[in-house]
Amino acid sequence: MQERILEIEDLHFSFDTYAGEVHAVRGVSLYVNKGETLAVVGESGCGKSVTVQSVMKLIPTPPGRLKSGKIYYCGENITHYSQKQMQRLRGNEMSMIFQDPMTSLNPTMRIGRQIAEGILKHEKISAKEAKQRAIEMLKKVGISNPEKSYRRYPHQFSGGMRQRVMIAMALVCNPKVLFADEPTTALDVTTQAQILELINELKEELGTSVVIITHDLGVVARTAERIAVMYAGKVVETGLARDIFYNPKHPYTSGLLESMPSGGETGKTLASIPGTPPDLFAPPKGCAFAPRCRYCMKICQEMPPEATELENGHSVFCWLMHPQAPKYELPGRKSRLKTPDLKGDL
Amino acid sequence: MVKYIFKRLIISIITIWLLATISFFLLRTLPGNPFQTEKLLSVEVQERMMAYYGLDRPLIEQYFTYMKNLLRGNMGYSLKYTNRTVNSIIASTFPISAELGLRSLAIALPIGLALGVASARKRGKAVDYICVIVAVIGVSIPSFIMGSFLQYIFAIKLKILPVSQWQTPAHTVLPTVALALSLMATLTRVMRASMLEVVMQDYVKTAKAKGLSEGRIVWSHQIRNALIPVLTMLGPMVTSVLMGTFVIEKIFAIPGLGQHFVNSITGLDYTMTMGLTIFYGTFLVFANFLVDIAYGIVDPRIRITK
Amino acid sequence: MSNIPIDLPKDAFSHMNAGSTESEIITRPSITFWADARRRLFKNKVAMIGLSIIIIITMLAIFVPIFSQYSYTKQDLTNTNAPPSIEHPFGTDSHGRDLWVRVWVGARVSLAVGIFGSVIPGIIGVVIGGISGYFGGKVDMIIMRFIDIVMCVPNMIYIILITIYIGTGPVALVIAFALTGWMGTARSVRGMILQLKEQEFVLASRTLGASSATLIFQHLIPNTLGIVVVSMTMGVPAAIFQEAFLSFIGLGIAPPIPSWGQLANMGISVFRVYPSQLLIPAVLISVTMLSFNLFGDGLRDALDPKLRM
Repeated sequence: MQERILEIEDLHFSFDTYAGEVHAVRGVSLYVNKGETLAVVGESGCGKSVTVQSVMKLIPTPPGRLKSGKIYYCGENITHYSQKQMQRLRGNEMSMIFQDPMTSLNPTMRIGRQIAEGILKHEKISAKEAKQRAIEMLKKVGISNPEKSYRRYPHQFSGGMRQRVMIAMALVCNPKVLFADEPTTALDVTTQAQILELINELKEELGTSVVIITHDLGVVARTAERIAVMYAGKVVETGLARDIFYNPKHPYTSGLLESMPSGGETGKTLASIPGTPPDLFAPPKGCAFAPRCRYCMKICQEMPPEATELENGHSVFCWLMHPQAPKYELPGRKSRLKTPDLKGDL
Repeated sequence: MVKYIFKRLIISIITIWLLATISFFLLRTLPGNPFQTEKLLSVEVQERMMAYYGLDRPLIEQYFTYMKNLLRGNMGYSLKYTNRTVNSIIASTFPISAELGLRSLAIALPIGLALGVASARKRGKAVDYICVIVAVIGVSIPSFIMGSFLQYIFAIKLKILPVSQWQTPAHTVLPTVALALSLMATLTRVMRASMLEVVMQDYVKTAKAKGLSEGRIVWSHQIRNALIPVLTMLGPMVTSVLMGTFVIEKIFAIPGLGQHFVNSITGLDYTMTMGLTIFYGTFLVFANFLVDIAYGIVDPRIRITK
Repeated sequence: MSNIPIDLPKDAFSHMNAGSTESEIITRPSITFWADARRRLFKNKVAMIGLSIIIIITMLAIFVPIFSQYSYTKQDLTNTNAPPSIEHPFGTDSHGRDLWVRVWVGARVSLAVGIFGSVIPGIIGVVIGGISGYFGGKVDMIIMRFIDIVMCVPNMIYIILITIYIGTGPVALVIAFALTGWMGTARSVRGMILQLKEQEFVLASRTLGASSATLIFQHLIPNTLGIVVVSMTMGVPAAIFQEAFLSFIGLGIAPPIPSWGQLANMGISVFRVYPSQLLIPAVLISVTMLSFNLFGDGLRDALDPKLRM
């Protein structure tokens, strides 16, 4: 078995708001192996960002609150680490890039200093060496003229370039895990491909594990070895990318795949999943997807389904897996996944 | 940046010219002449005085003469203080007002900003409530009322500080504090709001994700950015300090320029009012100009776009 | 294959055809903007205290002078500088005039100057800013250059010049405020209109076939009016302060008409001996400004659509 860098067990995370408690994450279990890319997929508001941000303890308490669950980093239980203890891990052992590179960089600080400041925090080196490291890193993420760029401010870069700066900042201390929270959502399509390519390259080069959060299955197809599909604060299905794509067992996963446009099929209406996700102020007692599910059964509205383990670590949270349940053939990805030649996009 | 400064400079000069023109025509076309009120001078004497000060010439001619003198920095003679130029009065009394103003800014800025930061960091806690309440009371009490009360309590009742005048450091305490309090309250409010805004920004989360310590995040990522909106407040603050000196100097009998300005208005000393209006106007225009440049330096985004 | 231990009744797996009908029902009733703002404002205790004080002071200002046996000008030189008593709740001044009546007549003047001195320039600002933002182009450029130039010098300097020129009194003050106070509002209203014109929700609403009336009433007004109302409310204490300031330096309101600033000015000259003559108008000025500030803060929080959860 591969070395597990990160493991989350039954994580529950809530927000206390004026209107009541929002159950944002309701029992998520995930793990990340060394050097692999895990994609966490789901629609907005399903709790995927909250899950990773709560691992890094980036959400202030209040309003956020870790209710229960365990988080292991390299076998060590970090669930109850203090902010001080977390500071040693953040940026150094695990780091993060955010969705919007426009707002994620400090507008009044030169980007070089923003990168170097992380190095200086974690390593006992001189400011000059830190600067050298930062410039090297800028070069590595493909920023032209890194010496000059070191002294620039974020607004002097385009969105794609800023995201490269963010990546440089996140990887400069060689972390073991990189969380990428919708890293390409705010970028235009050609830039998206370049950024994903860059993340893949650096992952190979540095041996970093990557957790990529996205609602875009195209991104998943380009990067991930394993996938976890989330819905309404829970993981509904997880497994190897090929199993999820070609042999989905959860109706939600199947619906997502059906609603993904695939090249070559013209004149066909794009499938969609009717309805909206449930209100997380008062999560349903049964399966959260039941109201939208084509295959909904009586039990689905009564009890939440438990995990059913299939081969290759494929696990599904659905009552259809129950031996007594009727059997359906869920549609998956029909055509062979086209992994586009990334170079061609550039 | 050079273009931006140049543009602002042009606007400033036009403003000062406009202000000088407005004040000239408003004050020179007032009915009556400034010597009427003086202890029953005969008509002849009044006319001679008018001629002496050049007030009997056509208005336009007076205007050009005044403007020509103004360009050389000469604002004419006071009508009340015989043989004293407005310039000499400014030179001898403005330093006192400036000292009063700078002292209160020096107290208000650090304390006001620190309270604003503390209040925002402890949002919803007791410290925050106290700061918010004290600040809203502070902005609601005009400085002349604050000044009178401080004078009554500490000088007249408790007798621990001098009642008035501007001599020893002890004399400066009450007027400085009276002027500083409302300023401090304003700063606390602005800084608190600005900090609360900044705390929610994405780049603060980025800084946290880098593993920076809390203190470092607050200092180099939050406070620096939160100061930008505060900087825009500096212009109005200098104004309010200046206005404050008018009333505070009156209450504490401080021989500063503010008191002269107030006296010139009530004493119908028009050359003096005009000269001081233009002086104050120019001073504030340039104070704002400097603030704008500082703003451009602190916020790199301005430098490029303007 | 399954790891579910319990054996479930057969009908547990009957198809429910839940469909999407149930999930389509919006669970929380939608609240209109103004109803929501009102609810938030009424829930804000501090703002409500401010409002109550404003109402009480206004009532006293209206009714005390009507029902009092003294007039605010009647002098009684046999009873000057009297301390507060049942006869004269606030005492008398150096001319033996009843301060209780003078304070509440002064309240009428100060409140009127405060409210009109804030609302009138506010309205002028909305109109000019609206025109500037709506028409754009040359009109906009001329108005904005003018504002840029004039705003370099603080209002108070212009107000002082204008009051020296047109004389003292409440009307003169309001005119001076109206002439000088509209520029800030005009600038921000223009900015908001320009911004709103480009926002996606306006475009979206237009694409969905909304009429201009819907656009104006549903989008532009709620988004600008809130801020304008808040700035007008906050302008009231500022105008009350300016009146007091001007009266204190001998401009503004001149005797015999009382205003709070004027009464404070009179009080200053005797307050070393008779502190209550300054104390009373000073406290009223501060309490009124405080109440308007508290109410304004509450209003701002209630109307800020971004805070809406």
